[in-house]
Amino acid sequence: MVTELPKTDVVIVGAGWTGLAAAKELADAGQRCVVIERGDWRHDASNFGAPEEHDELKYARRKEHMIDTPIKTLSFRNNSDQTALPMRRLGSFLPGKGLGGAGIHWNGQLWRPLPSDLEMRSHYTERYGEGILDGMNIQDWGMTYDELEPHLDFFDRVCGTSGVAGNLNGETQEGGNPFEGPRSADYPNPPMKASPPLQVFRDTAEQMGYNPFHMPSANVTRAYENAYGAQLHPCTYCGFCERFGCGYFAKADPIICIYDVVKDHENFELRMNSQVLRVEKSSDGKTATGVTYIDEDGREVFQPADTVCLNAYALWNVHLMLVSGLGTPYDPQTGEGTVGRNYAYQTIAAAGVFFDDNVWSNPFMGAGALGMTIDDFNGDNFDHTDLGFVGGGYISANQTNGRPINYQPTPPDTPSWGAEWKQAVRENYLHHVGIVCHGSSVAVPGNYLDLDPTYKDAYGQPLLRMTFDFPENDRKMSAYVLSKAEEIARNMDHVRAVSTVNRAAEGESYSVVPYQTTHNTGGAVIGSDPATSVVNRYGQMWDHHNVFVFGACLFPQNLGYNPTGPLMGLAYWTLDHMKNDYLQNPRPLMDA
Amino acid sequence: MKLARTAILAIASAGLGSVAVVQAQDSGAEAPEMNELERRLGVDSVLFNATIEEEPDDDLLELGRLVAMGSSENGGSGMACITCHGVDGQGDGSGAFPRLDGQPGWYMYKQLQDYASGDRPNRVMSGIAQRLTEREREAVSAYYAAMAAGDLDRAHGDLEGTLLQWGGQLAAVGSAEKGIPACVNCHGPQGTGLPPSVPYLAGQYAGYMELQLELWKEGTRDNDSMDVMSTIANKMTEEDMRAVSEYYARVSNPAGEGAEPAGEYDLPSAE
Amino acid sequence: MAGFSRRAVLMQLGASGLAALTPGAALAQNRYAELDTQPWSFLDGNEARFLASMADVLIPEDDFPSASQAGVVDFIDLQLAGPYGQGAGLFLEGPFGDGTPEQGWQAPHTPASLIRTGIARLESGDTRLVDLDAGEREEFVKRLSEGESFDLGDVPVQTLFDEIWALVKEGYFSDPIYGGNKGYAGWEMVGFPGAHAYYTDHVDKNAPFPAPPRGIAHAPGTRQSANTARPLTARAANATQEEG
Repeated sequence: MVTELPKTDVVIVGAGWTGLAAAKELADAGQRCVVIERGDWRHDASNFGAPEEHDELKYARRKEHMIDTPIKTLSFRNNSDQTALPMRRLGSFLPGKGLGGAGIHWNGQLWRPLPSDLEMRSHYTERYGEGILDGMNIQDWGMTYDELEPHLDFFDRVCGTSGVAGNLNGETQEGGNPFEGPRSADYPNPPMKASPPLQVFRDTAEQMGYNPFHMPSANVTRAYENAYGAQLHPCTYCGFCERFGCGYFAKADPIICIYDVVKDHENFELRMNSQVLRVEKSSDGKTATGVTYIDEDGREVFQPADTVCLNAYALWNVHLMLVSGLGTPYDPQTGEGTVGRNYAYQTIAAAGVFFDDNVWSNPFMGAGALGMTIDDFNGDNFDHTDLGFVGGGYISANQTNGRPINYQPTPPDTPSWGAEWKQAVRENYLHHVGIVCHGSSVAVPGNYLDLDPTYKDAYGQPLLRMTFDFPENDRKMSAYVLSKAEEIARNMDHVRAVSTVNRAAEGESYSVVPYQTTHNTGGAVIGSDPATSVVNRYGQMWDHHNVFVFGACLFPQNLGYNPTGPLMGLAYWTLDHMKNDYLQNPRPLMDA
Repeated sequence: MKLARTAILAIASAGLGSVAVVQAQDSGAEAPEMNELERRLGVDSVLFNATIEEEPDDDLLELGRLVAMGSSENGGSGMACITCHGVDGQGDGSGAFPRLDGQPGWYMYKQLQDYASGDRPNRVMSGIAQRLTEREREAVSAYYAAMAAGDLDRAHGDLEGTLLQWGGQLAAVGSAEKGIPACVNCHGPQGTGLPPSVPYLAGQYAGYMELQLELWKEGTRDNDSMDVMSTIANKMTEEDMRAVSEYYARVSNPAGEGAEPAGEYDLPSAE
Repeated sequence: MAGFSRRAVLMQLGASGLAALTPGAALAQNRYAELDTQPWSFLDGNEARFLASMADVLIPEDDFPSASQAGVVDFIDLQLAGPYGQGAGLFLEGPFGDGTPEQGWQAPHTPASLIRTGIARLESGDTRLVDLDAGEREEFVKRLSEGESFDLGDVPVQTLFDEIWALVKEGYFSDPIYGGNKGYAGWEMVGFPGAHAYYTDHVDKNAPFPAPPRGIAHAPGTRQSANTARPLTARAANATQEEG
């Protein structure tokens, strides 16, 4: 027995960054918005305060803020010759749950895409000729950096981003990232402080001719009133950022930056503990009519709406489309269909630096986006001629999370347990920093998402099935960027030893076990060709014009940056076109 | 608030010393034994609490004691610390002067620097701090930091329970509605301080804390890192300030951490 | 002093260098068991001794306590009795397949049943880990870590080792409210100041920061966390029964 509720203007699936941004913008535009969120209500003040939140076991190990695999997980295999098995426990990536979504437990590393990232196929083809992208599904995003810039800038002012501009209106600025696209305005706040290892990294990188700069950070560096009038407080460098909520009001998150300024809006309604099962379609299949969900009392409910916004985590948006029959599922045999196509990830490697007693890292002092970075080997910031790969990554000395259960640095050749291990942890804990290589991930035909034929979730729906391994391109890219990071590490002063780890090393397969990063992208990509994208360049589904899609599932391939900045730029771009065009005259905004 | 500020201004303008000294004597408090303070420096946590630029030794503590009594290289600080803050560091009971006993040394040293530079404007303290050398500021900070911060031996007035309850809530979980983070985020276990940067609130005088919150709010005081306290105080009403100040004044602040030096852990013997 | 665990039965023997198989050692073992004034929540005496033996090979005593001295066995006991041990973070719907290492946990077990079953199968013969001398214990743990020469049925050896080692590290370094890291042993060892954290003024200073640790439930005026970790269920005298 399905209860049908009164119709609303807009129904929004998911109360994370994009869902709350959509609710705020559309409510202000006069649309009655209902936001449906699977998890609990929570708030920075009442739920994330220290010292209780500073519980590494509960939040970083038992992953209290993350999705519960018994309720929702996916199945995984490296290639289509294998049988996918459920990801029974969280590991490689950590989707969130509850008000604010994964935007609560993020680090706050807030990047913009390079102009060339958004036109990747055109750019590489023009610079290196046809053929360099053979075997890959590399695509343009469908809009340019200049079109996205006002929205990237707005999100910087929602978060109070800290940093040093490298390019202001085309003028290169001292101390910033010289490779970035032009900013129309400076960062709202000054950069974070540099801890001693970051200072050493900066000096060494400069000596080697690179261009170090403070990582752009949504860990706010001073008191700041954001674009919506919400008040953020300065970061205390407490070291509990990633996997934790921030009780200091210092890490920009969807609750304090957006929810607090929309919660009392007459057009805003939030329904917690409600699991959306599917999007319903009209009889002609051309539009969606609303969503069906299980409410907090366990009832199955239909919420009709004129417009449906999909704002769940990237993977779950794709899952929702597949179980709802939205769009055409991708078929890896024929290469046809688009839903699930171009799933990509992030290619992570790192060099570990072990200092002598002259450098104190005190790794427990940190912040999610406390980093000193070079962008010299990211995107197409360097010549790819004869390198045999495309893409790249940033190299960053990061001091983010020196909490002792997960952070036990030991030099190469240390036994992995026992007396020598214990001694090494004790000697190195206060004198170590990691230099991460945060690399891009190209889309290839064999990496995709579809529905699992065997396993079902707690709601009886088939699990999403992920088929993924690191493409050969990315293995080469990762080895190259890591070699550059290692070179910097070995050139640093007071270094006793350097270790390396490469998750995309030759001869090894992608594993869902060790944590890498919560940057799952693609599967419902944006573009200007319905044969290779699920949504048009405005984020509107080609097949169902009143369905708008948000989040990293839109990325045609993954860039070398953290996804939150680019995906929020896309979100405000989409909302701009909804508010100023679509809602006045609902129709396909592009011809298929 | 108004009352407390009046008290400070009155003393600042009145020539005063003698009055306050009498009060301090009336309280019957005794200065801590120097060898007790030195013994406490054997405890890691107390040492960390008291260390500023250098590890304090008996010379530094003795210098600190002399400064507290009013001496200085420049011929006197103008007024002995003990006249207002008490020989035991517990103030004079008026609530206008904060307790210093067992406050983090680095925090107190930074306040003296800020008084001297004008970053924390105060008519009395600025002059005093300016007459002290760097080493004297460090010494007197270490001296008070090494004292055990025991419970105040003074009665609190009656207060409606709902106000205290609200204060306790702000202290522990802040307010989602007002966007106020919890005090305990930064001020240590149960508000007992987080050396070296963050002072204790537990057992501090309510009047002093309330005044400081007002000063943060109006921007007169803005000498903390990145203005975090002004941002918080800006979101608070007078009632919030009173509630949280009265609450913390009533929280027990047990005698200095690690009264006895930590021993070796022992193993159950095989007997 | 009372801050360290007396509950884990074995390593005291190793630490004091007693030959494990002498009658004296066996007596001593019983004596330690009598020091258990609290019942275990999940473990029985044999399991506790196995885990203590293994934990103290993984983190042996030096200037800082061994794993069991720091309360790791108490920690594991509480963890296995609680939501984590009972499978709260695991999708446990079948069918179960062997899978590749890249596919992660595929055992048809909760952590608690994995460890209980695993220990039972490892200890099914005549020899108990607790009875081996120090060198033999280390050799055993080494073989277990390499997954060699054990057939434990549906308990994957590598998963079992990884799970126990993860628990041992968690018990050594997590907040004392969970029963391990007694007296902040693990935090003292590395120099981690704990849950109360404010470093704005210090993060850019190249200097040691030897702040004494303070946990979530730090008891002001002491060097200890409040003792909040208690056995979940009363299985009184379980350990001593096992001694009989």
